[in-house]
Amino acid sequence: MRNRKRTGWHRVINGVNISTFLVVLFIGLPLYWLIASSFKTPANIGVDPPQYFPDPLSIANYKSAFVQYDFGVYFRNSLIITLISTALVLGLGTLAGYALGRLPMRGKFTLLVALLMISVFPEIALIAPLYLLLHHLGWLNSYQALIIPYTAFNLPFAIWILRNYMLGIPKEMEETGRIDGASPLRTVWSIILPQALPGIFTAGIFCFTACWTEFLMALTFNISNNYRTIPVGVSQFGTIDVTPYATIFAASVVATVPIGILVFIFRKFVISGLTSGAVKG
Amino acid sequence: MTTISSAAGQPAVTAAAPPAGRPDVNRRKLARMGWIFAAPALIFVAGVTIFPILYSVVMSLRNVNATGNGFVMTGVTGANYSALIHAAVWRYALGFTIVYTIITVVVELVLGTAIALVLERLTAGRGWMMALLLIPWSMITVINAELWGYIYEGTYGALQAIFQAIGLGHPNILGTSTPAIIGMMVADIWKTTPFVAIIVLAGLVMLPGDIYEAAEIDGASGWYTFWHVTLPLLRPTLALAVMFRVLQAFGLFDLPYVLTGGGPGTATTSLAVLGYDAMFKNLDFGGGAAVATSTALLVLLGCLLSLRTFRVQVGKENT
Amino acid sequence: MATVSMDQVNKVYPNGFHAVHDLSLEIADGEFMVLVGPSGCGKTTALRMVAGLEDISSGTMRIGGREVNDLSPKERDIAMVFQNYALYPHMTVAENIGFALKLRKLSKDKVNAKVTETAEILGLTEWLDRKPGQLSGGQRQRVAMGRAIVREPSVFLMDEPLSNLDAKLRVQMRAEVSRIQRRIGVATIYVTHDQIEAMTMGDRVAVMRAGVLQQCDSPQVLYDRPDNIFVAAFIGSPAMNLYEATVGDGGRSVKLGSQHIDLPDAVTVAHSALASYAGKAVVVGLRPEHLPAAHAGFTGPVLAGDVDLVEALGSELVVHFTIDAKRVVAEGAHAADAEAATISGEGVARVDPRTPAKAGERLNFAVDVDGIQFFDPDSGAAIWS
Repeated sequence: MRNRKRTGWHRVINGVNISTFLVVLFIGLPLYWLIASSFKTPANIGVDPPQYFPDPLSIANYKSAFVQYDFGVYFRNSLIITLISTALVLGLGTLAGYALGRLPMRGKFTLLVALLMISVFPEIALIAPLYLLLHHLGWLNSYQALIIPYTAFNLPFAIWILRNYMLGIPKEMEETGRIDGASPLRTVWSIILPQALPGIFTAGIFCFTACWTEFLMALTFNISNNYRTIPVGVSQFGTIDVTPYATIFAASVVATVPIGILVFIFRKFVISGLTSGAVKG
Repeated sequence: MTTISSAAGQPAVTAAAPPAGRPDVNRRKLARMGWIFAAPALIFVAGVTIFPILYSVVMSLRNVNATGNGFVMTGVTGANYSALIHAAVWRYALGFTIVYTIITVVVELVLGTAIALVLERLTAGRGWMMALLLIPWSMITVINAELWGYIYEGTYGALQAIFQAIGLGHPNILGTSTPAIIGMMVADIWKTTPFVAIIVLAGLVMLPGDIYEAAEIDGASGWYTFWHVTLPLLRPTLALAVMFRVLQAFGLFDLPYVLTGGGPGTATTSLAVLGYDAMFKNLDFGGGAAVATSTALLVLLGCLLSLRTFRVQVGKENT
Repeated sequence: MATVSMDQVNKVYPNGFHAVHDLSLEIADGEFMVLVGPSGCGKTTALRMVAGLEDISSGTMRIGGREVNDLSPKERDIAMVFQNYALYPHMTVAENIGFALKLRKLSKDKVNAKVTETAEILGLTEWLDRKPGQLSGGQRQRVAMGRAIVREPSVFLMDEPLSNLDAKLRVQMRAEVSRIQRRIGVATIYVTHDQIEAMTMGDRVAVMRAGVLQQCDSPQVLYDRPDNIFVAAFIGSPAMNLYEATVGDGGRSVKLGSQHIDLPDAVTVAHSALASYAGKAVVVGLRPEHLPAAHAGFTGPVLAGDVDLVEALGSELVVHFTIDAKRVVAEGAHAADAEAATISGEGVARVDPRTPAKAGERLNFAVDVDGIQFFDPDSGAAIWS
């Protein structure tokens, strides 16, 4: 775009930089508040006027999150459920994305539109029947109670992303493989998959984020303490009268760090996934 | 000038049909393979979405009584739906969800685009800014709700401290209807605007640079260029993002449930919160199913209305 | 025994489109056969049928003597180079070349040996550990060839492998491909839309149009004795000038517009059938290189034209002129025909660079009657004896 050469103090103080600074404030201040508050002592969390900088700095909340509350358990549950769901989604989704992207199937179009519509479906509509089903199977409060719905709900979007990436691979790849003598499965594994890796990373990071942050189903199906995930666990900290914000924030920081790092590492994939078409929140 | 279609090279055009030939065996094999590949995923999805929704529809049409160990469903009735329509709280939830969605989406769009425009002009550090923008998106909504709950807290929240400093007194944000709603919107907007900004920014970056030069040569001002050149080109990306966002908004649950519990009263009770409360607090599964099903129907309606956009999206990527 | 033998091969698509009509062609061992024609003429479809990538609707396809209609590409012992090479971007050059061998479960040592050998032939040895993304267009093209060569197939198939290269590189690679093919000595079927490539590279060239084979001969024969108007117009650059003309008595002269051209006995005898067209219309073909400028004192048949435009190439002048005869266009031979604002009687001649030709003046061309061609105006077929 327009590259005006700025001179003198304009190079640092100018409209763009000031606005950028404002944006940084906009995003950064609440984040700072979250992190800073996690280091306040429990006594100072509810002080009026509030401490803008924790004094003294304390990691008591982090300890209490793991010791007093079972945050360690919640973290483990979230991790297991998220990783397994993501693995399932990627496995099933890659095959489906390949089929719907590169194989001649009739009714492909309708299927894809249907998948798109399912991906915006309100969860609330499925909560009760799923609850009943899980109850029947005795699977309430278990890992599979969440892994199965998470996989099913994240598949449509993942299939879309993977399909888009598959479409970008030159169409002669399969033919070359055939001529070289590779079986269809071998072709997918050795030739197509490596080229679809960016798509797999993209679908993976989206799925991870979705599973990590899901609340409604986790609240409904896995309310027992041993199987709670982080969102549910954190929301249940405390009692009716007391909301232990300090501990909550400590737990929140611990919960946000891994996903923050992952998203940072894979940010190129997130961004390209957002621009490749079907855009979800 | 005459044109000759070299009849010497043409086959004798007799009435005989071209050789029927053997059917394309290979194509059929590939199609079959495709179904085998796609089946597991499709069955999974269908199993967990289609069947439950049908069950939900059925449930909403029957008298459902929760017992200790499950349900007893009797009869076929529209009572759940008539109760729904007559329930002020449902009508409110419907209106609230819709208005809430419209306002937040519009604000997010405007703010997000503004941020994107600023960042697009950034020469250094754009990558870091984009990384920063991703953090609110990756935050758990529950955590976001807790954070803003802390900020809005009546006694020691940061916001009320600021208000006091300015001399605006001691507001009870989460305890009063309108401020609670606005507060919730702010929390939502804070979390989602950066995400919108990324989408718009990515779209801006992909626009060809020479049209701006052409506009500049033609003498267009910055605002004019944005309105008449940038925006129309961004429209497809934005339209799609907005459509998805709006359709998903009907599921609004996490934020109201954790931040306000649906209150004060029922001021921030969205459709999903209403459904959840009905089913799992009041054990009114029939009523809850009615809420759930009607919400799903609304989303379906929205999908069908946007069907053209969906199809274009699929067609666009169909090579 | 021919390496590849096509007998009345047809391809009809499910939607009814008849892409290849009754194609019969034989490619001998070690021969470089070029399939050439405008886009949509069926040449690529034919190639893909040999490869086994398209089913054959009817007819017989033989490779090495055995019928392969129902065999998969792998079983046909063929190798193919695609237009955009389709190199595996995530594999190194060595892995790309060795992939097919690995699939055949050859030992690692054998694979390495063959890959090294092939890389040497193609000059790729120092690039073996690079990925395709790091190579230039020409190098990628060589890797694609290497992939094909290393398999030591019975037939090479090439689908417009040079189209993605820029003009200069294309000329250079043309020679390389020919050289490599001659060294390897494997029968090759090469598809292109560029008739210059066809002429310079092919042992024989098969001209196709709308799914039908027009003529299959050595390049020189195609040039000297085109079987019909399409081949005549398609081969040679700039294209042959084609005009409507009337035949004089006994086939001893033709009249182009208002100009009379006497034909020497040698020509009349060679085209003895021309006599039966006496008084009737035929199509006369004159290649631009057969219309040098007539020097003062030239006694042979002369064609006078009004010069429209002169293009100086350094080695020659390309003179665009007009005569008062009606021009004939072979449908589909040149895309430019459909686009050009055609003027009746246009023609092109290639003359000595020192000829004093100027736009707006009249110029006499010496007609090289040995090269003159005659075609039936209805069927388009060439008129000989």
